[in-house]
Amino acid sequence: MVPISYYLILAAALFCLGMFGVLIRRNALVVFMCVELMLNAANLTFLAFAKQNGDFTGHVSAFFVIAVAAAEASIGLAIVIAVFRSRGSINIEDMRTMKY
Amino acid sequence: MNLPTLTSADFFPMLPAIIMVVGACILLLSEVFLSAHSSRGYQAVLTAITAVIAGVVALKMVFEPAREVFLGFGALDPFSSFLTFVVCVALALATLTSAGFLRKRGAERGEFYALMLFATAGMSLLAISNELITLFVNLEVLSISTYALTSFLRRGTRPSEAGFKYFILGAFSSAVLLYGAALLYGATGTTHLTGMVLPLANAVRTNPALVYTGALLVAAGFAFKVAAVPFHMWTPDVYEGAPTPVTALMSAGVKAAAFAALVRVFVTVGPGLDPQLPLTLFSTLALLTMVAGNLLAIPQRNVKRMLAYSSIAHAGYLLLGVAALFATAPGEAFSLLGSTSLGTTATPQAVARAEALRGILFYLLAYTVTAVGAFGVVSVLERREDEERGTAWDLERFSGLAQRRPGWAFAMAAFMLSLAGIPPTVGFLGKLLIFRSAVDAGLIGLTIIAVLSSAAGVYYYLRVVVYMYMRPVPEGAHALERNWMTEFALVVSTVAVVVLGIAPGPVTEWLVQAGHLLGR
Repeated sequence: MVPISYYLILAAALFCLGMFGVLIRRNALVVFMCVELMLNAANLTFLAFAKQNGDFTGHVSAFFVIAVAAAEASIGLAIVIAVFRSRGSINIEDMRTMKY
Repeated sequence: MNLPTLTSADFFPMLPAIIMVVGACILLLSEVFLSAHSSRGYQAVLTAITAVIAGVVALKMVFEPAREVFLGFGALDPFSSFLTFVVCVALALATLTSAGFLRKRGAERGEFYALMLFATAGMSLLAISNELITLFVNLEVLSISTYALTSFLRRGTRPSEAGFKYFILGAFSSAVLLYGAALLYGATGTTHLTGMVLPLANAVRTNPALVYTGALLVAAGFAFKVAAVPFHMWTPDVYEGAPTPVTALMSAGVKAAAFAALVRVFVTVGPGLDPQLPLTLFSTLALLTMVAGNLLAIPQRNVKRMLAYSSIAHAGYLLLGVAALFATAPGEAFSLLGSTSLGTTATPQAVARAEALRGILFYLLAYTVTAVGAFGVVSVLERREDEERGTAWDLERFSGLAQRRPGWAFAMAAFMLSLAGIPPTVGFLGKLLIFRSAVDAGLIGLTIIAVLSSAAGVYYYLRVVVYMYMRPVPEGAHALERNWMTEFALVVSTVAVVVLGIAPGPVTEWLVQAGHLLGR
């Protein structure tokens, strides 16, 4: 059996990967995928702890998170399409209409 | 299989949210039967009436005894009921200002009001959430509705850009919060906030890294939502690009709901943690937020953007109140639950904590009526044609407003004085309550900084008043259209700002009630 800590380290790595992706990548869709990666890292953590404790809460939580992530994806993609229609590009560098 | 038994008493605290969801469904269904040119004037009225009914129900619930509902997943206490009332007020006022705003842009649709109702239902449910996953789902209900509202107007580049920034940073912060919740679940084996306290006290000893990382990530997630510095970068752009009534709802309602969840999480699990941790954390956030918010607002000539920075500064004052919630005397056990039963043995810190909670609630109400009103004035002055050039919200728009529309100018002056915290307005009383409780809690240095930074804020608030009353009307100023619903909202906000500032009588009674967080 794979020890729990392996899952947790994998989840932490995914979370960091997602976080740096959001901060560094310039393509709106890639940034969006990185956010999904972070949510799934949280899911994996929930599941690993649920397996360790023999508790159902973590499993149920993962389902709720999947449902929320799906809702978020639909709105997020709609907004990305709106951005593309209004300026013909989904590069984050181009989004600087509002200045300080 | 044993199903839990839920009685109608379990569903009772959800009543305001249910009312708003039903109202939203009626709006969505009625939209099916309308053609593109049908009159949609009833929609704003229907939304406002729904909000008022939900608000009245919430106000009745303030006097209900505090208890856990839904097997501990929710908590009905005066605190949550009062916050539901505050977000209903924000919704009612924001809706009234949006009717004229949307009609001018030919974008009046039932979906807009339905989304506003869904967002507010999410806020109300967030206030009663007593479990981390419930809290996350409700936070997302309100966030997803506001993402859609932000980019609701599809012409021009601003709304979609603001919507995208809000979406990415909002989803990012939700993911951070969720990961923190997962770590706390791992440390304690439960996601119920009340059930977490005892395991947490053990876990702090056996595995402090896990607990502290989890708590810090949850706090960071909330800091994004309430726009605390250094997690505030999205605020000015999103507030500027969103439709003005949506900005009003975001600055008042979303912020109030996020503060409700933040207070509930940290106050409930506080006894399991060392109270020094939240105290240090929120003091630091308060310091940065107050100072940076006020300093960044000073050079702004764009009034909408200035109000965005001002909303950051106000989050700072609220965080000062939150920090005061965690002040403890040396050796005193932290507890805020059931703060009503303060006996004669209560330490000064315990009294200060109860006062701070009331201060936060009053401040949220005060900020709601003021900010929604101020954004209402901004929304009647702006024109779509100027948006792309970015001059729609320039200070010049306010020049000579007192000669053209004395009523609007008076209302805006009242809101500005209230935001600056000058008597006799409600903003002054809110600041007074928060600062007093912070001093009682021993945060004297921080309170001095708060007073100084709010004094700096007076400069940019009064500049708007100076433009309105002491500048001539500019050449070629565009005609100002009147709209009875917006003006009604302005009248209500102004009356609330002035009357509550002079005689906060009934509200203080509600507040004494609302200072009761769930007791165990």
